[in-house]
Amino acid sequence: MYIGPEEAAGTVYRVQDEVSLLRASLEGETEAWGEMISRYKDAVFGLCLGFLRNRADAEDITHDAFIRAYVNLRRYNLEKRFSTWMFTIAANLCRNRLRYRRNHPVAELPAQIRGGEDPAHVAAADDRHAAVREALNRLPYGYRAPLVLRYYNDLPYRDIAEILAIPEGTVKTRIHRGKAMLKQQMEERDPS
Amino acid sequence: MKSIDLDDVLRAALRQEVAEAAGGLDDLEERIVFELGERRPRLRVGDWLRQLIAPTRSGRIGQLGLVGATAAICLLVGFFAATHFGLDGAAPRIQRASPLNADGTQEVLFVLPALDANEVAVVGNFNSWEPTTLTDEDEDGIWTASIPLPPGRYEYAFVIDGRWWGQDPLADEYVHSFGEYSSVRYIGGGDGA
Repeated sequence: MYIGPEEAAGTVYRVQDEVSLLRASLEGETEAWGEMISRYKDAVFGLCLGFLRNRADAEDITHDAFIRAYVNLRRYNLEKRFSTWMFTIAANLCRNRLRYRRNHPVAELPAQIRGGEDPAHVAAADDRHAAVREALNRLPYGYRAPLVLRYYNDLPYRDIAEILAIPEGTVKTRIHRGKAMLKQQMEERDPS
Repeated sequence: MKSIDLDDVLRAALRQEVAEAAGGLDDLEERIVFELGERRPRLRVGDWLRQLIAPTRSGRIGQLGLVGATAAICLLVGFFAATHFGLDGAAPRIQRASPLNADGTQEVLFVLPALDANEVAVVGNFNSWEPTTLTDEDEDGIWTASIPLPPGRYEYAFVIDGRWWGQDPLADEYVHSFGEYSSVRYIGGGDGA
């Protein structure tokens, strides 16, 4: 299970343990890397799903991100926060997948997000959540990505800026504008 | 909708979405660990040397020939560095003989023989361990890169077609961490980078 930055800062034992796992992974102990995957897979998958809006692609990229991170683990600076490095890898892979998708468009993409679940059931269970999802589907990537990192991964602006390689001020602006766009789309969908 | 409401709804919607879709991740650890186990591990220096001297179907003579060729290449590199940078045999530290730039940095030459390589890069604490590509314009198998560096201590390694090569013959010393060697150079008598 992923630990957010605030929680991690106060959980010294957990952080020390994580460094041990990373050192063991660097020594080639793939089981230690398996434990790291267990801790971060939900966070990485959530990022990918939020960015890509497609379940199958999100699963693919989550898998590829952990493979790529393991192969390049030597480049990771142990003094930096692992989550930021891991999210950066995942975000870059998502960006590449979106670029590929632009050149190979698939018509039914937005519907795939719900997997096997009946869309009518989802809408009935929580109409507002469904409205947010639909609005996120329509939001440009440049606005969607910071929103996902902020509201799913609970990251501070500084980390979001590092992961997306954009200035911190731009992150704040895009989150503000992205929320305004979401709100407008939701109001248009349900004027009441 | 109030802003605070939107924050809460957005957070909850994203979490719910992941919870509904995360079923495919149940055995992700097992799949990746299995896949990594099936992969050939990255060739380390010790493994490379063991492979080099181990008998194979081509016979030990061939292996010794390879060792001889490697030694010859190292000598060639030394000769290259000495002729291009005015080294003397007693103190083979090319960075000390390199010219001083106006901004106080020195051109530090990274050179590595890799006859069959397609891509050679150097990674180190001077480039945040991001690859700086070496070039081999005359295609003689000697790859070089000149990087301006301020005085300091620099840890680095070469990456040859994706494989780690941490023992540069021209390094001042080596460090061993996480099961791999890295090289160290001291530029301008510096002790920290």
